[in-house]
Amino acid sequence: MSALPRLPLTVIGGYLGAGKTTLLNRLLSEPHGQKIMVMVNDFGAINIDAALIERADGDTLSLTNGCVCCTMGNDLFMALGDALDRRPRPDHLVIEASGIADPAKIAMAARAEPDMAYGGIAVVVDGENWPKLADDPLIGAQMRGQVQVADVLLVSKTGGALAPNLAVRLAALSRAPLLDLADLPQVAPVLLGGMAPDGVQGGLQGVAADHPAYVGWAHEGAERLERPALEALLAARPAGIYRLKGHVLSPDGALEVHVVGPTIDIKPAQSDSTRVVAIGLASQIDRETIAAWWANAAA
Amino acid sequence: MAPITVFQARKIITMDPNRPEATHVAVRDGRILAVGGADCADQWGPVQHDHSLADAVLMPGMVEGHAHMMAGAMWKFAYAGYHDRMDPQGKWWRGKPDIATVVSDLTDYAQGLPEDQPLIGWGLDPIFFTGERLSRAHLDQISATRPIAIMFSNFHLMCVNSAALALAGYDHTTNVEGVVKGPDGAPTGELQEMAAMFPVMRRLGMDFRGLSQTEDAIESYGAVCMRAGVTTVTDLYSQMEDSDLAVLQAVTGRSSYPARLVPVLGVAGADPETAAARAQALARQGTDKLRLGAVKLMTDGSIQGWTARVKWPGYVGGQPNGIWNMAPDEIRRMVATMQAAGVQMHIHVNGDEASEVAIDAIEEAARHSPWAGARHVLQHCQMMGPDQFARCAELGICTNIFANHIWYFGDQHAALTIGEDRAQRMDGLRAALDAGVHAAIHSDAPVTPLGPLFTAWCAVNRQTMSGRVLGAAQCVSVAEALHAVTLGAAYTLKMDGEVGSIEAGKFADFAILGEDPLAVPAQALKDVPVLGTVLGGTVHLA
Repeated sequence: MSALPRLPLTVIGGYLGAGKTTLLNRLLSEPHGQKIMVMVNDFGAINIDAALIERADGDTLSLTNGCVCCTMGNDLFMALGDALDRRPRPDHLVIEASGIADPAKIAMAARAEPDMAYGGIAVVVDGENWPKLADDPLIGAQMRGQVQVADVLLVSKTGGALAPNLAVRLAALSRAPLLDLADLPQVAPVLLGGMAPDGVQGGLQGVAADHPAYVGWAHEGAERLERPALEALLAARPAGIYRLKGHVLSPDGALEVHVVGPTIDIKPAQSDSTRVVAIGLASQIDRETIAAWWANAAA
Repeated sequence: MAPITVFQARKIITMDPNRPEATHVAVRDGRILAVGGADCADQWGPVQHDHSLADAVLMPGMVEGHAHMMAGAMWKFAYAGYHDRMDPQGKWWRGKPDIATVVSDLTDYAQGLPEDQPLIGWGLDPIFFTGERLSRAHLDQISATRPIAIMFSNFHLMCVNSAALALAGYDHTTNVEGVVKGPDGAPTGELQEMAAMFPVMRRLGMDFRGLSQTEDAIESYGAVCMRAGVTTVTDLYSQMEDSDLAVLQAVTGRSSYPARLVPVLGVAGADPETAAARAQALARQGTDKLRLGAVKLMTDGSIQGWTARVKWPGYVGGQPNGIWNMAPDEIRRMVATMQAAGVQMHIHVNGDEASEVAIDAIEEAARHSPWAGARHVLQHCQMMGPDQFARCAELGICTNIFANHIWYFGDQHAALTIGEDRAQRMDGLRAALDAGVHAAIHSDAPVTPLGPLFTAWCAVNRQTMSGRVLGAAQCVSVAEALHAVTLGAAYTLKMDGEVGSIEAGKFADFAILGEDPLAVPAQALKDVPVLGTVLGGTVHLA
């Protein structure tokens, strides 16, 4: 099992009509260079440019860019097992949670499963209707719960500017980065990390170079950190990094690290060097700040 | 002309008010030709008499309106539950009243397993244990090397041994919600919710999909039904794929298969239009022994898991209100689409807020698409009061009530979940019947064992495990309870014209009993022996 790279899983949460499907349509059409597998409850609203569709058979839609979109059927975890067993294994798995679901219940599988990597929870917040939904006597608690577990909050339908009262309410519930979907030149860096699947060696493919809105930072070295020291270092990371991943050497063997928004996930790994990449928004952070922070690792 | 067989019985309970009792029933072409005395079919031509059931009591084959196919195939795994329980082959497995018995019984079980096979158990319910919680330390006593996983009866939790933890890579460094850790920082072996259980299930080959739809699963479900006197049974959240249809048709089509199967398609999360079209297409693929075309919707969770949506005053322990598995908006849209398409719905509702949302949704849909014969069914209906039953009567909604909960969880409901007042009116079959609602009662097997006579006993006696009577005002008569597990349930499946009573024209589906359930004391109703069933005139003996 360990011969294959781990399958990263990103879960997209958010209520009906918030814009989850629009987000997935964007993701599938972007030039991210990854073979993504997207799992949805139904194809109803999936609307891919016909030129991108290579073939459609039954519950699977194959795209010319190597991505596939499929329905997960009734048993999400069985579908998860099927995705893991798929050969070649996809570079990244993205699951669209149902409108009322707690996305953490799905995403936690990526932290539990040794063959998966944590890709985080992106919750799409309906910029127009969320405050009303959050106060709804029937579903308000679940709406607020989705925001509480998010690693990144993507606000839709802002009409150009995030309403301050919405931002305040969301910030009170969550430490996750809050991004206006309309401001994002590409969504892949936010949802996937935007890096090539093999990490540093492939470089920060496209993302940081092509899109000045994003800052990408990559590092390779021989630092060796005990797990508690690594955890302390990551906990002190500068605000504005919303994704970080890589391998870090430690006295007990290498560790694989995935940081998404407020969540840190660490698993054992095999590596002969410390290699880390990070991504943030240029408006919030610069490469020097990240490099200065990481320099503490060698200290 | 096909031959006529006249079965003689000690007594036949017909559920037909025109002839409530008889001694003989004549069968031709799998259907009931006549009912009465030995000469009942003489006007139809020469008959053959069958005296093999002469000492037995016959009643209409019972109808289980809410159970799940995995109730059969679960027995591939070791039973670890609290109560004594019978497997599909009729073998009784001892209940495990404490952790020591769990360990000793499963140690015996493991001796029958090949060395390289994991030990997988099911049915454990720690709500019944006092003292310490089951942990890997207990399961390690069974084996330190063979992976062991015991699924709890609610399917939301399991306990595994150290070997299984190691397979999943769980240790003191694991920081995963649901991987429970002890004071020493090491995992205790308890895993909560699917995400935490998934790595173990995947590595131990615990394939829940394989507990339904496969030939073995369908066969063992039939065997479970036959031993419970059930001749028509639902699979009330079928995850069948279109490719499963041929297997279902083939297995149920065998003359040796002892039940009529009613898979009800689960549609939570599906696109309503697509799901409705699929249900309509399936409806056309049915046979006499395989009925398709209805759908199942989810709403809330369970009361004993504190995930049911309950109205004020909520849970006695102050737990937050439960969760929706389908949002009320989705429920309304699904209900409207199904109602417009003419697809019958079964809607899971445990808490009274969930039943209210479902009733509201049906009422709204009915204003736009009137459908007098819809017979949508609310399933579980555990907290409904007379007001909601009255609305069901107005709207023609059926209710299938979870009577078994009174025995299994009644004490917990009074003490720990919804409190004494509402526990008294729980699962109120009396209130439903008084409101004029078409009502059935059910087991939700494998959540509780399939056994309509036991389910009827619960509705009649309303006795809990501690021996108290919970809400005596909701008790019903034996005759009413037997109606609920035959014609009442058949009505909810729109099969009351074909099954549910012993009268001319219907399928020759009978339960073969060792005693007369109408003559034994009401307390003994659950102990009436089930000797087998007759399905379409073919005798299947336990």
